[in-house]
Amino acid sequence: MAVAKSSFKKNKQKSVVLPYFYLLPAFLVMGVITFYPLIYQVIISFTNFESKHLLLGLQSPELEFIGLKNYLDIFTAALPVENFNFFRVLEFNFWWALSNVILHVPAGVLIATLLNTEGLWFKKLYRAAYILPVVVPPLVVATVWTNIFDERYGAMNQLLTSIGTYLGNTAPVYIRWFEDVKPPIPGFLPGAPLTLAYYAMMIANFWLGWPFMSVVATGALQSIPKDLYEAASIDGATGAQQFWGITVPLLRPAMIPAAVYGFTLSFNLFNFVFFMTGGGPARSTELLVTFAYNLVRNLRWYGVAAAFAVIIFGVALVVFLITNRITRATQNYQEA
Amino acid sequence: MSSVTYNNVIKSFGDVSVIKQLNFKVEDKEFLVLVGPSGCGKTTALRMLAGLEEITSGEIMIGDRVVNDVAPKDRDIAMVFQSYALYPHMSVYDNMAFGLKLRKTPKEEIKRRVNEAAEILDITHLLDRKPRQLSGGQRQRVAVGRAIVREPKVFLFDEPLSNLDAKLRVQMRAEISKLHQRLQTTFIYVTHDQTEAMTMASRIAVINKGLLQQLDTPQALYDRPNNLFVAGFIGSPSMNFFPGKMAVSGGKVTVDMDGFQVQIPEALAGPYKNMDGKRVVFGIRPENIHDPEFAPVNIHGEKVAAKVDVTELMGNETFLYLVNGKNTFIGRVDPRSSKRVGDDMQVIFDMDKFHIFDVDTEEAIR
Repeated sequence: MAVAKSSFKKNKQKSVVLPYFYLLPAFLVMGVITFYPLIYQVIISFTNFESKHLLLGLQSPELEFIGLKNYLDIFTAALPVENFNFFRVLEFNFWWALSNVILHVPAGVLIATLLNTEGLWFKKLYRAAYILPVVVPPLVVATVWTNIFDERYGAMNQLLTSIGTYLGNTAPVYIRWFEDVKPPIPGFLPGAPLTLAYYAMMIANFWLGWPFMSVVATGALQSIPKDLYEAASIDGATGAQQFWGITVPLLRPAMIPAAVYGFTLSFNLFNFVFFMTGGGPARSTELLVTFAYNLVRNLRWYGVAAAFAVIIFGVALVVFLITNRITRATQNYQEA
Repeated sequence: MSSVTYNNVIKSFGDVSVIKQLNFKVEDKEFLVLVGPSGCGKTTALRMLAGLEEITSGEIMIGDRVVNDVAPKDRDIAMVFQSYALYPHMSVYDNMAFGLKLRKTPKEEIKRRVNEAAEILDITHLLDRKPRQLSGGQRQRVAVGRAIVREPKVFLFDEPLSNLDAKLRVQMRAEISKLHQRLQTTFIYVTHDQTEAMTMASRIAVINKGLLQQLDTPQALYDRPNNLFVAGFIGSPSMNFFPGKMAVSGGKVTVDMDGFQVQIPEALAGPYKNMDGKRVVFGIRPENIHDPEFAPVNIHGEKVAAKVDVTELMGNETFLYLVNGKNTFIGRVDPRSSKRVGDDMQVIFDMDKFHIFDVDTEEAIR
């Protein structure tokens, strides 16, 4: 009896240990490429790490631990960088992500709903077409849109000129989309003035962003049973009432995670901002990630950049925790 | 007045003709069941009445009003779907109240009607729950409740019990019948299950291949099927059919089957007296085939030799699967029957309860 008991215990121990054994390769890879750099970064964020320390790393004799100085410099705008204010960048960054999602999700849902109309011709063609912006490389997209907003030769100013001509104004329009620092709507976002470059980026990113939301919405729309609409039409619901009463609430479980994804994507939309505006003019379109990149790439202040990255990590963590909460709160209605 | 009339109703989807022609009238306060095999067009017939499908030609009337071009919401009907079609994001209460809210019914009135319906259906304790928290039977009740609160002129049911387990189905069957008695409204109910049709309907419309085969009370359908399809569709196990040939000699009418023959009683032979040599289908229901030991006494019995192939003991009755030459048939006999697999026996055909069908037109001859 005792033997049986101990072998049972042994088996139990084995069954507890075994899963970890299977996870080991993943842990090793994660350790090398994620956790090691992460910890290293946290350490150097408390130092004056610069280019000259790259060779010996933490062993460098002149490397000094300076405590929270990097963090304080960032928060108090004490860095010798022109036009830098952490809280303004943070505010702009949040607004940028939020305003994108606010535009993309309804537009995506609306277009998906229209294209879901029964009996619509060439439905598959439209659906194939709107996936295009998603697959074009971001650099290409950014370059094309930079050209579109070119002051002299860009399509946007030409379009505005033709509209102006149509309305009786003969003077050509030369809007300096990426240079004008004067916000067109003063005081729209207190603390972080939105320059024309922001609106130009919004337009370009809209082109890039709604198709994804449409793809998600299309999938979700097709999973809504037709019976519900039939039941609603017998219940007396008009088309609009069916849209608000059935389509919107039943799309919510799919659209909220998509919106959360869209938010985080826009929040860290490095390549777009970097290629289109470079964060300018006067850092008005700078995101946290583009600024962090500047710190390393141009200024080579690794210590400050590390501290900055740790802060971004903290911000991202908060964003993640909030969005995760939202996502969980809208689990699928069908599942118990 | 909430009668429903189908006048020359035809429906086709492109080249596919689903309803070839429907002509019938559902009387006010009647419980009419549309029954037929899958794909026969019964659901389409119902959906056209609901306004969910357009009518290709003909007209449908609710009361005295032609509703061909009336929107579903203005037809004053309520429908219970096979899938229940409950709004998953709304509570039971909101599901039931949805239609009333859209019709701008006063809040107090909505509350009164929902509570009343919930009480009838015994779902008062579920009003705050979401559909996903309910069992199949409970969802079914909510779907019915949603129809009741609307107080419509006509209730439409599209196979509402097909997703329930057998026991619950029997229970809900009785409840829907009770509901009909209580509400005194026109019910139109679609099912492929002839037991449901038989147990609930005031009248049954049997539909096959887009055509009405017969419209009558359940008992009349069972006793006097108009054609081979109705005879085979209504009743379980279904009627036994034998290809045969009429033979008339000296005033006696017999039907020659391949392997045996039966004589038609004098009193019923009238219609067949000039049909000598005609090829027919002879039909007899399983319960009219008896084990001689337990056969009723005052019947015109005809003995037919048979070998027992399979027996199914049901407790209250026994099914004997019988073979005579090329003919196989089922007898529903007394449970005390001692016959077992492999036994040779003489079964008794109750010749007061036979059916004869024309081989070509498949119509009943009587």
